[in-house]
Order: sequence, then structure tokens, then C-alpha cells
Amino acid sequence: MIIYYISLALRSLRSTPILSALMVAAIAVGVGAAMTVLTLNYMMSRNALQHKDNVLYAVQLDSWDPNKANDTANEIPWQLTYQDAQALLRSDIPTRQVAMHRFGFTVEREDSHLRPFVASARVTSRDFFALFDVPFLYGGTWDSAADQAHTQVVVLPKATNDRVFAGENSMGKSITLNGEPFTVVGVIDHWNPAPKVYDLTNSPFADAESLFVPFGLHRQFEIDTWGNDSGWDSGSKSEGYEGFLQSESVWIQYWVELRDGEQKQQYETFLTAYIQGEKAQGRFQRPLKFALSRPSEWLRLNKVLRNDNRVLGWVSLAFLLVCVINGVALLLAKFLRKAPEAGVRRALGASRSALFIQHLIESAAIGVIGGIAGIVVALVGIRTSRHLAMGWIDTVASMDWLMMLAAIGLALFASLLAGFYPAWRISHTNPAIYLKTQ
Amino acid sequence: MLKMHNIRKSFRTDTIETHALRDFSLEVKEGEFVSVTGPSGSGKTTFLNIAGLLEPSTDGQYLLDGEDVSNLNDRQRSHLRNEKIGFIFQGFNLIPDLNLFDNIDVPLRYRGFNAKERRKRIEKVLEQVGLSARARHLPAQLSGGQQQRIAIARALAGEPRFLLADEPTGNLDSLMARQVMELLEFVNEWGTTIVMVTHDPDLARRAQRNIQIVDGQVCDLRPVTEQSDAVSA
Ligand SMILES: Nc1ncnc2c1ncn2[C@@H]1O[C@H](COP(=O)(O)OP(=O)(O)OP(=O)(O)O)[C@@H](O)[C@H]1O
Ligand SMILES: [Mg+2]
Repeated sequence: MIIYYISLALRSLRSTPILSALMVAAIAVGVGAAMTVLTLNYMMSRNALQHKDNVLYAVQLDSWDPNKANDTANEIPWQLTYQDAQALLRSDIPTRQVAMHRFGFTVEREDSHLRPFVASARVTSRDFFALFDVPFLYGGTWDSAADQAHTQVVVLPKATNDRVFAGENSMGKSITLNGEPFTVVGVIDHWNPAPKVYDLTNSPFADAESLFVPFGLHRQFEIDTWGNDSGWDSGSKSEGYEGFLQSESVWIQYWVELRDGEQKQQYETFLTAYIQGEKAQGRFQRPLKFALSRPSEWLRLNKVLRNDNRVLGWVSLAFLLVCVINGVALLLAKFLRKAPEAGVRRALGASRSALFIQHLIESAAIGVIGGIAGIVVALVGIRTSRHLAMGWIDTVASMDWLMMLAAIGLALFASLLAGFYPAWRISHTNPAIYLKTQ
Repeated sequence: MLKMHNIRKSFRTDTIETHALRDFSLEVKEGEFVSVTGPSGSGKTTFLNIAGLLEPSTDGQYLLDGEDVSNLNDRQRSHLRNEKIGFIFQGFNLIPDLNLFDNIDVPLRYRGFNAKERRKRIEKVLEQVGLSARARHLPAQLSGGQQQRIAIARALAGEPRFLLADEPTGNLDSLMARQVMELLEFVNEWGTTIVMVTHDPDLARRAQRNIQIVDGQVCDLRPVTEQSDAVSA
């Protein structure tokens, strides 16, 4: 019987093409707009580190101004000072730990036609790749000595390797960064988490960096940061680059991997002791405070999905509701035009519920077609917002299968909602009045 | 077959209440061919709608095949209508965008027959009304008389015991009207009970029995031959 109803629905769509097209358009526009916003929100609220959510922690220490709390969500600076990062790296409690920040180099290659270009880089300790599950194509990370002393090695993402070495295995080859030769020790496969949980201080939806170099290079290259760098204590700074490294400026992101509760407790004890020790030296004048946040908490604290995105989500659903209300009027017109046929069907033995289901299925057919058209609208909408955002949301501005299914589901729901009253009306009109004459 | 006792039907609009039928009592026996005549607005169509379970009566008792149908719900009424009753209308009421085959298919779908059974029945009734060759035509491609024959075929496809016809020849010229009448008589001979509303005194006279409705009541039950004056008035 369902198949009969579906064939009737398709026949009816063909026999009232204009009303049907208007109805499909209403659903498509409503669903398309809603799915554009919902897709961006959904992609932005994903957690690329979900599978390690119970072992990874972002570390924050409150080294801030004694007179004024930092203005982050938990009143602790997002990042650490260089000296604190170096001190924490000396602990052997965590299974893995990473100190890092964003920087950039001019890239060249000797004896090649490659035009020099500027690339973003992540200056990081060696555990980065294992801690964030970065897949290697060739080689691996550098050895731990490179994070202490100055060793000119580099790990290349696939895209950079393709650009500089035309995709060949570049292990052991040399690449020139800021005029100095670096040896390639590893090439990583395509990897682009969105949001970029590991560093939310720079645009969380931008692409991952194009180079990875060891944490032991700071003094040699006088590396500062291409990211956020904020300080409060301008007075006590000594001169020059060394002064910057020893200052209270916060610019290093810090993550640890802790296997279980016991290890976490040990690490907390260690942090407490460290801060108390620093207090004795005159630093850390604020009440003792630090935080270890799981990736999911970290995303929430950093408000990666902003409130206006949420509001926009609701607005787009309200817009869909307007489209549904339009749909009610269109369907009512469409169905009542066929009231004589409904009267005949009643006379021939159709019950009210049979007519109700027949017309609901007709609405649903419109919904499915509208949903497919809505996906097209949403794809255009997402592409447009991607252009407008100029690279800031590239990693999230795409639609996966789940969202396409959701679009169809939403369209189906909207069309059933729109069709409910018209279907009820048509199934409850008195058939006798349509049978008298034609 | 059909037994109505003290049926009342009133229509309420904002200001006035119309009594389309009152104290309406009638019995139709199995296998009868009854013609119904009466002035316009006297309640003939209303009677057929109630008899055919399209509308409930306001009051009174209605037994169809010995079963009291006054208190059945919509599903049960629709089921009975589908199984036992065939309708024929003055305006044919074929569904315009379905071809003849699919038009006749409609009541069989609601009956729940499988595809093979439906095809068998459709082909049989198409042959009975002499339009087998036209199965894939649309209603608009047929003459009025042919359309009415398809409507009769549709009414017969479910093999109803009871055929209700509301001025089936009202839109046809006399030749086609006679053809349709002959078809109905043929159907009646095979055992289907028929109640036919008509304004045509000649056709009314061809029925076994004629009843007259005046002002919502059965007026007279004289044999057909004695009432020709009244009908033509
Ligand atoms: N749906 C309705 N709403 C209000 N009044 C109605 C309705 N249907 C019928 N009536 C009234 O009931 C009365 C009987 O109508 P009905 O259609 O049964 O007459 P009829 O005998 O079939 O007339 P005709 O020969 O012209 O077809 C009329 O007065 C009509 O106005
Ligand atoms: Mg009438």
C-alpha cells in the first residue's frame, strides 16, 4: 500500500508542477540555510582528540600579575612562560609532554628552482607527534637531545614535502630555513585536526603548520612567537633576547599525557611543589592556582563554538519554521484542489486515515526532494562562507555524510510538519459535497 | 438487504436547519431493482449518501445486510462501503489523471487484493462494459457514455452486492442512456441489488419498483404503472 501511495504522490507532484516546485523550493531554502549554519557549528564543535580525552591535559599555571587576574575563562593565562615550560619539561612524571608555539621560516632549497617562500612552523618538543597521534609517512621525530641543544632537524608535513621535494622520500635531505641548512628526519602524512585543539590561541580553524622544528633552537635563531604573546611585568625585564626568554611573557602552549588518576595526582603534586618553590623565589605572587584540562574541557573553556554561532543556529531554525508555515499554505492549496478526487476515493472505500496517510506521504515526497535540493543550497552556502572567512574556517567548511543525512531528515520532518494540517483537512472534508456534480 | 427505520438527516448552517430526510423508512430486498424519483431538493441524494455510508444519519436505524451500521466508526464504514457498495454518479467522477485501468484499480487497492487478482478483475469488468481496448486511455479521451460505463465497471470490480446510482443517465443523450440502463439491468439480472435515482419517467418505469421521495419522506409505494402522472409532473 505504501508503494501505491508513493506512486500516487509522484503522480500528484507531476500534475501540479508549479505548486510542487514552490513547495520544494520553500523546503530547500529553509533546510539549506539551516544546514549551512548547523554544519559549521557541528564541525566547529567536533573534538579531534576525543579518543584521547581521558589521558591528555592542557597545562595552565597562574603566573600572572599579583594585582589583577588574567581575563581568561578560568582566570589563568592560556599559555606558559618560557622559563616555566623549560622547568616542566624536566619532570619525568608524564608519559609524554609537549612545549610548543607557532613561528615561521623562509624556506629555500639549494640547487633547485624552488622559489623561496615563507612557511608557518611549530617549534615543539619531540613528543608532539606521539602525543597528538600524528601519522608518519617516512621517518619519525627527532631524538631528545635536539630539544636541549641546538640541532638543525625538521619534520615536514606531506604538503610541504610535495612542494619542496616533489613528494619523494626526503629523509636525510637538506632544506634551508632562514638561510641555515636543516636535515629532514621525518615526513608526516595528511593531518589537519579541526578545530586545532593543540593550539587554540591562533585561529582554531586554520590549517596546521607547514614545518616542525625542535624546541632547542630558540637562542640560535632568536625565535620569538608568531602567536599570541602577552605579559604584565614590563619592569623587571633584563636586556635583549635572553631578557625575553626570562620574562613573565606567556607564549608557550603546554600539554601532558597522563595514563591514569595516580599519575595525574603525582603530576599535580609536582606542579604544586614547583609553584611553591617559585613563590619562595618571589614569582607566582597570586594564590596558588593551576589547571589541567582535557581536550573537551579545553575546547569549552576556549569557547571555540561561540555564542553567536549558537544564536545563528536558532535563527536559521526559526527561518526554517517560516518556510514550514509557508509550506502549510501551499500544501493546503494543493490538496484542496484535489478534494474531488479525495471524495471519489472515500466513496470507493478509502477511510479517513487512508487519505491522511496518502497525503502525508505526498508531503514526505516533497520533503525528500526538498532535502536533496537543500543539500545543494547548503553546499553553496558553506562554500560562500568559506570564501568570506578567507582561510579561517577551511578545515571545517565541508559537509560529511552524517550532515547530508541530517539534511534529509530535517527536510522530512519539516515537510511532515507542514503537511500534517492539510492532510488532516483533506481527510476530514465531507466527501458527499464533492460528488454531486463535476 | 437494506432496511431504514425513521431515519432523520438535518443539515445545520449558521442560520437555518434543513431537514433533508425525516421519518424516512424503507426496505429494499435482495436482488431488487428500485428506482427513486421525486422533485429536486426532496432528499434523494441525501438518502443515497446515507444508504452508501458516505454520511451518517442524524437519527434513526439503518440495517445493511442485517447489520446495524448506525454506530460504526469511519474505518468500519469505509470497509463496508468498499466491500458491499458500488457508487455511480451523474458526473461519472472518474479521476482525471488516472487511466481507465488505474481508475478501476482504486477500490481494489483499498480492498487489499494482490496485483494478479486486481488485474484479473479489471480485465473482466472492462470486457463486461465493452471497453477492453481502451484500458490505457485517460477519461477525457472517452465520450460521456463510455465514461459512465467505466464508472460502472469501477463500481462492479469489487463485486458489490449493492449498487447505488444517482441519476446515472442525467448527463447522457437518450441513446447512451438506454445503453447504460441496459447494462444496469444486465447487472441486476446477475443478482446485484440496485437503487437508482432518476428524473427520467421512462427509465423509472423499467425498474421493478419505484418509490417517490417528497419533502424528505417516502411518499407513495404504488406499483410503477399507476404513477406515471406523478413522475412527469
Ligand atoms: N451538505 C449540505 N448542507 C446543507 N444542506 C444540504 C446539504 N446537502 C443537501 N442539503 C439540503 O438537503 C435537501 C435535500 O438535498 P438533496 O441533494 O438530497 O436533494 P435531491 O433530491 O438529490 O435534489 P436533486 O434532484 O436536485 O439532486 C436540500 O434542501 C438541500 O439544500
Ligand atoms: Mg440529487
